[in-house]
Amino acid sequence: MGRSFIGTFGLVLLSIAALWVADVFLANVEKTETHAQAVRLFDEGQTLRQRGENAQAIERIEDALAIERTNRWYLQSLADAQVAAGRNSDAQATLAELLDTDSTDGFACLLMGRIAAKEGEFGTAVSYFHRAIYGHWNDHESDNRQRARFELIDYLAEHNSKEELLAELLPVEEHAPKDLKSRLRLGQLLLLAGSPGRAADVFRGIVRDEPANAEAHAGLGEADFARADYRGAQRHFEEALRIAPNDGNTRRHLEVCSEFLALDPMRRGLDPQERYRRSLKLLELTSAEVDKCITKNQPPEVEALLDKAASAQTAHVKAARQGESAEANLDLAEQLWQLRKRECKAAAPSDTPLALVLARLGQ
Amino acid sequence: MIAKLRHSLERLRANEDQLALVLSVLIGALVGLVVVAFILLTGRLAAHMYPAGGAGWRRILVPVLGSLATGYLLWKYFPFARGSGIPQTKAAIVISDGRITMRTVLGKFFCCSASLATGIALGREGPSVHVGAGLASVVARNLGLTPKQVKALVPAGCSAALAAAFNTPIAAVLFSLEEILGDMHATVLGSVVISAATSWMVLHLVLGDEPLFHVSGYQLVHPGEFGVYAVLGVVGGLGSVCFVKLLLNLRIWFARLPKKTVWLQPVAGGLTVGLLGFFVPEVLGVGYDYVEKVLNGNIVVQLVVLFAVLKIIATAVCYASGNAGGIFGPSLFIGAMIGAAVGGVAHSLFPAYTAGPGAYALVGMGTAFAGIVRTPLTSVIMIFEITRDYTIIVPLMISNLIAFFISQKLQPEPIYEALEHQDGIHLPTAQSRAQAAKVQVQHAMRAAPALLLGEDMAHVHPDQSLSLALERMGEFGLNVIPVVSRANAHQLIGIVTLEDALHAYGVSK
Repeated sequence: MGRSFIGTFGLVLLSIAALWVADVFLANVEKTETHAQAVRLFDEGQTLRQRGENAQAIERIEDALAIERTNRWYLQSLADAQVAAGRNSDAQATLAELLDTDSTDGFACLLMGRIAAKEGEFGTAVSYFHRAIYGHWNDHESDNRQRARFELIDYLAEHNSKEELLAELLPVEEHAPKDLKSRLRLGQLLLLAGSPGRAADVFRGIVRDEPANAEAHAGLGEADFARADYRGAQRHFEEALRIAPNDGNTRRHLEVCSEFLALDPMRRGLDPQERYRRSLKLLELTSAEVDKCITKNQPPEVEALLDKAASAQTAHVKAARQGESAEANLDLAEQLWQLRKRECKAAAPSDTPLALVLARLGQ
Repeated sequence: MIAKLRHSLERLRANEDQLALVLSVLIGALVGLVVVAFILLTGRLAAHMYPAGGAGWRRILVPVLGSLATGYLLWKYFPFARGSGIPQTKAAIVISDGRITMRTVLGKFFCCSASLATGIALGREGPSVHVGAGLASVVARNLGLTPKQVKALVPAGCSAALAAAFNTPIAAVLFSLEEILGDMHATVLGSVVISAATSWMVLHLVLGDEPLFHVSGYQLVHPGEFGVYAVLGVVGGLGSVCFVKLLLNLRIWFARLPKKTVWLQPVAGGLTVGLLGFFVPEVLGVGYDYVEKVLNGNIVVQLVVLFAVLKIIATAVCYASGNAGGIFGPSLFIGAMIGAAVGGVAHSLFPAYTAGPGAYALVGMGTAFAGIVRTPLTSVIMIFEITRDYTIIVPLMISNLIAFFISQKLQPEPIYEALEHQDGIHLPTAQSRAQAAKVQVQHAMRAAPALLLGEDMAHVHPDQSLSLALERMGEFGLNVIPVVSRANAHQLIGIVTLEDALHAYGVSK
């Protein structure tokens, strides 16, 4: 009996050892086979995604994930497909799973940022974009961070958030890619961020390298325009149009510049007659603008000013008094413009030559 | 060295408590490894039977051939390996001192692997319990332990098996006590816990730490949801009763068929599941993959209702026709589908006040388990362990209890008891055991004749249970046992004869 007890004990221990080996072998076989199956399903999902069949792609990737639940690459692709299919809440759940295990996952943060941006959650979107910029990326970290930053920059530009946009552009400026396209984009964005001086530096650098680059000349024109240097702007726009005569946008800018310069009564070197003529023109344009805007039940104050403007336009002024009258006309035009701003529901356009001249007068 | 080891083992053998402890660990490890092998083998076989993109005809042919082959093997070589194994395990503990043969263990392991891999709509957990119990029995008997020690180790094998099969160690312990032993205060609690823990550790070492289902965190959205969960309890309870009644009636129908068809009967299950699976592949096998999808809320209400109905039919026919496999897994599938259907309807009616259908599928699993297997406590803990989601536990308890009471009302006899009765086995119920425990030695004792008590003579005290007196008589091969005072072991108070004891239980010889 004693031998049986010890023998059985030994046999049980041996069985445990043998079963352990068998189990580990079987587990490895299963791991290999299920991994292959997961890879196949995932590849099918990716192919379907490329074909734009996002719903089927999601199913395949989910099947792959059911086999390899912790595969972050699969989870990231699933979230990407869900965003593409417009299933934002599903994507958020998938991304939350990713962020639960690694809150610094750059890709997950970027997608979260995109979803928040789509849903109009500005603060959340900016926060996630920032987390994506400073987060962890599996590969091409620097490129991906740059990509995330440019997405944020585009988003801020879209929302005209100038200060935040400039704050994002400044770090990019030094390390930005040196290719022409990126430099042009940087210049445009700096313009949008309200930093025409920096934008002009960027465009000037491009013109130095490529004197025949129309976009850079146009950019320089816009930078000068933004700094109210309309003569410089006109010169750059003309140069841009000389290189690319069919650029409609630059042509429009040039027209505005030319009209401004033709209308500006403060331009240095104007003789009193010309200044008087321009003041009359300004008064006429301003009155027309007010008339167009306030058509019915004009308040007495408006009526009085319009009458005054009409009298000024028909009045015969002697040459000696034209300087004094020009000042009065300009003052009247400015009053009418202020009145228009106050009384009209529709905001006054800020980029017309008239608005620009009156803005300068206001300064 | 060997002599020293031999000496240590001999010493271990002499100390009953230490031996029980060591054997619990060994049985836990052994059973855990066998169950892991069972899971892996079944999974791999199934993957080869149904390769990705395989033709539709496979879904008919494979289960038919599988059930034909296993049906023959079960009939010819392993007659005790049919069905789930839970009733057989209970019967072995109560009737035959925990004796389960190695042949049954092997038959259960291989026939079940083949059945489940071919898509038979049964589960692996019940058979695992039978295999675990069988291994514990084989090891204990081969070590030359007493019948009492063998009986004490069998529940340890059960809990080890369930802990590994479901990855639910606490539920495994509870199930062994609640269902297998029918006694929550059983003295074998220590070995049951140790073996479950050991087996669970083995599972984690080999397969890693993954719950059976991955579920998003669900919680109660609005207090009004308790009403919907109560409705789920009612629907789940009714669904459970339908399933149990269908299975039992089909089993009676199959039992009435000529004896010579027994080997062929499992094919009825294979053919049913094959035909259903040809059109609806989700019916094949245990269907845990689909359960996980449903738990995560990916459902169409009409489809989950269809799946629940088809699974009830497929599982009932497969089991009743004599295939090897259990009903735990199918219970979870059916429950998840019923829950998802109720949740889907509720969510479409009251989207702001109810959670998604996934939450209801989760509670539905516990509900069907409580309604079918009738172990409400185990089912709550099991769902918690399977999903590791604690937040939904209160609705789960409410729903489970409602399903349990409805099932008890409409189908008074629990499924495992009914299956035993169909096989002509009448085991003591939990109620009858509690009643029997109340009968004490003094109720059956008669006056003592002049008798000299030896130091080591078997005896009982008057306030001890009569069942203990019977156990001691059986252990020492006596027809009569002396009753001695607790104050003085040499003071003979009376005697109990076997006839007296049976008479006290209302059984006349």
